[in-house]
Amino acid sequence: MATENIIKIKNVTFTYPDTKQPAIDNISFNIKRGTWTAIIGHNGSGKSTIIRLINGLLVPDNPEEASIEVDGFELNNDSVWDIRNKVGIVFQNPDNQFVGATVADDVAFGLENRGVPREEMLKIVPEAINAVGMADYTNSEPSSLSGGQKQRVAIAGIIAIKPKIIILDEATSMLDPEGRNKILQIVHQMKKEYGLTVISITHDIDEASLADQVIVMNDGKLIDQGSSSEIFSQTTLLKKLGLDVPFFEQVKDMLLERNINIPKTVNSEKELINFLCQLNSNK
Amino acid sequence: MSKILIGRYVPGNSLVYKMDPRGKLLATIFFILIIFLANNPLTYAIVTVFSFIAVAATGLRAKVFWDGVRPLVWLIFFTSLLQLFFTVGGKVYWQWAIFAVTSYGIENAIYIFIRFTVIILISTVMTVTTMPLEIADAMEWLLTPLKLIKVPVDKIALVMSIALRFVPTLFDETVKIMNAQRSRGADFNNGGLITRAKAITPLLVPLFINSLETAVDLSTAMESRGYRDDNGRTRYRVLQWSKFDLLDLGYFAILIALLVIFRTH
Repeated sequence: MATENIIKIKNVTFTYPDTKQPAIDNISFNIKRGTWTAIIGHNGSGKSTIIRLINGLLVPDNPEEASIEVDGFELNNDSVWDIRNKVGIVFQNPDNQFVGATVADDVAFGLENRGVPREEMLKIVPEAINAVGMADYTNSEPSSLSGGQKQRVAIAGIIAIKPKIIILDEATSMLDPEGRNKILQIVHQMKKEYGLTVISITHDIDEASLADQVIVMNDGKLIDQGSSSEIFSQTTLLKKLGLDVPFFEQVKDMLLERNINIPKTVNSEKELINFLCQLNSNK
Repeated sequence: MSKILIGRYVPGNSLVYKMDPRGKLLATIFFILIIFLANNPLTYAIVTVFSFIAVAATGLRAKVFWDGVRPLVWLIFFTSLLQLFFTVGGKVYWQWAIFAVTSYGIENAIYIFIRFTVIILISTVMTVTTMPLEIADAMEWLLTPLKLIKVPVDKIALVMSIALRFVPTLFDETVKIMNAQRSRGADFNNGGLITRAKAITPLLVPLFINSLETAVDLSTAMESRGYRDDNGRTRYRVLQWSKFDLLDLGYFAILIALLVIFRTH
């Protein structure tokens, strides 16, 4: 029974203990199955809180009105473990999510928690390690790995439990550009191979501009939701919220200010380059 | 410093490495107990020979073992000297005030010396050929009977393995904080004991806060990866007995037999 919206969030409000301002203020949104969604917003806008609500690490203030549905399961005390089987999260700090003593042990951690028999683990673990290209490091200790490699192991640990959704909670923010690109490339590949839905919480505007859908958050409120070209063309709104604007949008803005007419259909760096190259030849 | 903390494992490939950590741990514990069976020159000679064969079986350089004995050399000598001068009985060779060198004294001093040295050698054989994680696994196995009295052995084992896994991480963290403070003029290497102890305090505070944050992050990650209190977890890493362990335990069984036969009754 495949519902079209894999995640449905309705009227969710959440306040951290000892704070007055809700971290999440009456938010509702849906995420389509098989899409890549980016959630952007400045620090403290509630991005990370919303994903902790999705897998039941946090509980909404208003359980009566609020509803969180993941892959057809309504989140409650009984379903929380089923939902955690469907959602894998890669967190920000590569070191603080590496539980096992070696790469193989860490990938097996999620399987051990679920009581998967050892014979099956012996098959699944190497497959998952292979999928992220870490086969040469199967018995390495975390201290001998780079941040990017640790994040790849974290992805392998998630792939091993065969989830439906993978969430990147600023997973690339502590990595160098090379490590970041590698992680994004692997997640893209996993998404295609396993038909995953990806949610990426990010500060990296270039990462966000690759998404099918972008959600903008500010002070616990959902400000806007739409395709990445729809969102990123609203440069004034993004700047007002203290967010970066992709480089080509900045260029486009400045050209528009100088009365160069750029059609609305130009929505990517490539299109802009093409347009500019043809601009004078058309005259 | 990290070397001291996480044990002195030396990678290798000899016979002793193939033995199960549980067997090695048991053998080491038994060895420390049965050494008290030795009570005459012949039995002490047997113990010594057995220990040196075990050391040779590791295939490691003698320096590895010398490094194990070295920190305790003074303790061994001091204890032996006490035995030498204060044991009474037997033939008296030399006497001054309360000090006396007697035949019993010489004998006891040699015995204590051998006992100390072989215990250190045998435990070094275990620690250099077994990874800390394996030792933790072996200890978990030894503790298994405590499950009957509701001791959460699985949880203790998980705590041990996470602790071992985070030693290098915290060590890196310490170096980072030290460098950050050095670059702002802190001095960790000069001054008396008290000055140095004071210089450590501003190091400990951020380290402590960092490790608390790490713990919070780690528990969030563990929970979202499906860890829950209930039992029913399976194990990926398991220890397996092999024919090498028969050799290991058989070797020490023979030692016990020889000691029982040849000791003075």
